[in-house]
Amino acid sequence: MSKQLILENVSKHYGALTAVNDVNLVIEPGEFLCFLGPSGCGKTTILRMITGFEQVSSGNIIFDGKVINDVIPQKRDFGIVFQSYALFPNMTVNENIAFGLKMRKVPKDLIDQRVAQMLKLIGLRGWESHYPSQLSGGQQQRVALGRAIAIEPNVLLLDEPLSALDAKIRVRLRTVIKRLQEELGITLIYVTHDQEEALALADRVVIMRDGQIRQTGTPWQIYKEPRTSFIAEFVGTSNFITGTREKGAVRFGDRRFAVSRLDDTKGDTVHLAIRPENIELLDAGSSGDGLAPSNVIDTNAEVINFLGAVVRVMFMLEGEEMLVDIPEKEFERINLRRRDAMKLYFPPDAFHVYSELFKKLI
Amino acid sequence: MKPAAHTSASLDRYKLSPVRTEVDRFIVPAVTIFIALLLFFFMLFPLSKILQLSFFKGGELGLANFTLENFHKYFTNAYTFRALWHSLYVSLATTVIVTVIIFFFAYAMTRTTIAGKSFFRNIIMMPLVAPSIVQALALIYLFGRNGLITAHLIGTSWSIYGPVGIIVSEVLYCLPHAYVILYTTLSAVDIRLDEAAESLGATPFKVFTRITLPSAKYGIFSAAALTFNLTITDFGNPVVIGGNYNVLATEIYAQVTNLYRFDLGATISIILLVPSLMAFMLNYYISRKTFSMISGAAKPVIPPSRPLKKSLFTSYCSLVSLSIIVIFATVVIGSFVNIWPYDWSLTLAHYSFPSIGGYSALWTSVWVSLVVGIIGAFVTLVAGYVMETRKPFFKQFIYLLSVMPAAIPGLVMGLGYILAFNRPYYVFYGTPWIIVINIVICNFTLGILSSISNLRNIDSSIEEASISLGGDTLKTFFKIIFPLSRVAFFQNFVYFFMRSMTTISAVIFLVSASVHLAAIEIIMLDNDGWTASANAMCTCIIVIVLAMLGILRFVSQKTGQRPAGLVADF
Repeated sequence: MSKQLILENVSKHYGALTAVNDVNLVIEPGEFLCFLGPSGCGKTTILRMITGFEQVSSGNIIFDGKVINDVIPQKRDFGIVFQSYALFPNMTVNENIAFGLKMRKVPKDLIDQRVAQMLKLIGLRGWESHYPSQLSGGQQQRVALGRAIAIEPNVLLLDEPLSALDAKIRVRLRTVIKRLQEELGITLIYVTHDQEEALALADRVVIMRDGQIRQTGTPWQIYKEPRTSFIAEFVGTSNFITGTREKGAVRFGDRRFAVSRLDDTKGDTVHLAIRPENIELLDAGSSGDGLAPSNVIDTNAEVINFLGAVVRVMFMLEGEEMLVDIPEKEFERINLRRRDAMKLYFPPDAFHVYSELFKKLI
Repeated sequence: MKPAAHTSASLDRYKLSPVRTEVDRFIVPAVTIFIALLLFFFMLFPLSKILQLSFFKGGELGLANFTLENFHKYFTNAYTFRALWHSLYVSLATTVIVTVIIFFFAYAMTRTTIAGKSFFRNIIMMPLVAPSIVQALALIYLFGRNGLITAHLIGTSWSIYGPVGIIVSEVLYCLPHAYVILYTTLSAVDIRLDEAAESLGATPFKVFTRITLPSAKYGIFSAAALTFNLTITDFGNPVVIGGNYNVLATEIYAQVTNLYRFDLGATISIILLVPSLMAFMLNYYISRKTFSMISGAAKPVIPPSRPLKKSLFTSYCSLVSLSIIVIFATVVIGSFVNIWPYDWSLTLAHYSFPSIGGYSALWTSVWVSLVVGIIGAFVTLVAGYVMETRKPFFKQFIYLLSVMPAAIPGLVMGLGYILAFNRPYYVFYGTPWIIVINIVICNFTLGILSSISNLRNIDSSIEEASISLGGDTLKTFFKIIFPLSRVAFFQNFVYFFMRSMTTISAVIFLVSASVHLAAIEIIMLDNDGWTASANAMCTCIIVIVLAMLGILRFVSQKTGQRPAGLVADF
């Protein structure tokens, strides 16, 4: 029932400001696609252009082979879930879900049947005669989901649907959305600034910044192979080391790091990114045999943050703050304390190499 | 598992009606054009007639007929020319007095911890519920030739008729309008600035002159401009208490009604329009700045005021409130005693209104006001919705048209209506409908502004949710926006009702032999020597308006929604 949605050279300008700049994307039927980016990156503008609430400045939005730039939002048959839920406060749960069906003049018995089906799907049977104000935030967002799905939309669009909710409920509703999408096989476009949410939900993640697509890929690809230093920082956490190229290695202060993929970039200045979990903790007595000796460092634990499954330890390297993640079991075994000495290993192939460092976000 | 599978086939048959969605495209433009036409035809057209009559010989358009003769006549006739100076004098005096009085009143209400604030607020808002004639009636009872205080208690021959009477009555009439503005300004300015200055060692006097006053300056100017505008355009008070002291508003009326000089009436209208338009534009310009200063930041609790400050401000607020209470008490008591101030025995005789045929004018007023309330509230809600939410193509232009009525004195608009619509083919002329239209248009500005500010409280996603689910403009408006605006709608209804019950200047030219209105009858009764009956009619209007406000308060408490705006301050 779902059809292909294509964004073709889509741009949006507000006066001199370019909100979306030449975006090209093919969204496959039944795909769960996530737009991920910091606020102001243009992701919501893209969503609003797909819904029809914003006009494209140039380019085409193509659905099922037809350009829909000028089709009014009512006629697009796209379901939308808003960050603020946007439930009709003057209507019960039942009436909210039935609204779109009533607009389509669906017979009453069929509406009742469909609403009951939706209530079951969103797990809110028994709440049908409540008003939105009588529901929790999580329940309201479930109703909003049910209301959007009830009309059997061609595409379901969610604009930061979970960001107004508590952390616990957010994680639970994430599962509800994922399960719904898989059961219904519907094309789903999801906008968020929460990288964890994007990685957990999406089949494919589109990273946006400054109105442009910066990388498209599966969550795994985005996490493992961030194409820019910005993505390495924005998705997950990375330590950055800025050094200079020197005889097949990178000079950073007094040390020279062996780096596997140094040929990825050109230029004298090199930016290395390494994730905290990719730095290895060696036993104090370990001689580091078989490891590149230049990448073994001795340092002290400065700050210890217990995060649950892992423990994040801050240490200093050539005057820069660095993070290393140690599995909780391992942490318990070595009984690490503040100011204790640590021997760390930076595997040469764990570095991502960039020629440019992202501009800091705020 | 695909639970939707078997119904999807059946749901596929139900699509949005293509006709409806096509028609929907034209609804917003149609409503926009309707509102533009409404304001064109019932505001700009009558105004153009006034311009025409004042600048062209015999009101005939054409280059050859262009003349400044009317203006020449006006400025060379010492008597009519004086009206301009009189108007400017009483308006400026009123403006200064009101601004000073209200600044300290609003200061007490926002910056001190005096007790009885809600009482003071209710009292200061009272003048809104009565026609702007109640002050003059009361002052004459107290300080007139036969005044209780002047003639009987003091025994002086001095009486308040003339400029003093006009100024005092206008001051008492303008207080609530200026209060709303200064209260908003002073409560929006962060009180922590004062505290910071104090902690840095500034004396209370320095804090007041260096921090408090400058931060409220836009509000002060705005309140002053509004007061000036209200005073110079007011008709009811000067016509009753002015005596031989003519002002522009009374002069327009005299020229038209007594001398049948429509051309001079139109000319004086133009002369009145200039200062009132200037005051309006100043106010408009300033209030934009005021609102940009209002922050949504949380306001800390006011620290307890020192006892001396508290008792000073309590006395001050009591004094201001007392003067308003005295006005209203005088009129109400005056309507129930046999012969003020000689025979204090109670009577209902003044409530029989034999000279004007009993209560028919009052009932007409109530009916007209109910219709004005419904139409005014509905039209301004629809106009506000279309402009604010649907953002039509020429929104700025419509917006400009919508704020214009506030700049036009009611008397001028009324005269324009006679000139424009006194033709046999305007079938509404001479019926209550022209009065309804006139009052709606005259109060359009505040109506639409409060509609817009209430619509801004509705999350725009709700509107988009409806549209994305297939709701067209009409369905979205009637099923969602309207139900969500019920209290705001009712509040606007009460505003229009109140204005309609109490307005004099807007409709004085439009009442006819067959259509009488209560507020106008007050002037007629007073003119014909039925002063006690005039007070009785005033009392009737006050009671009806207060009853309507009581219902509004009950409704807002019942629904738990508290709308903002002028009416909500009761």
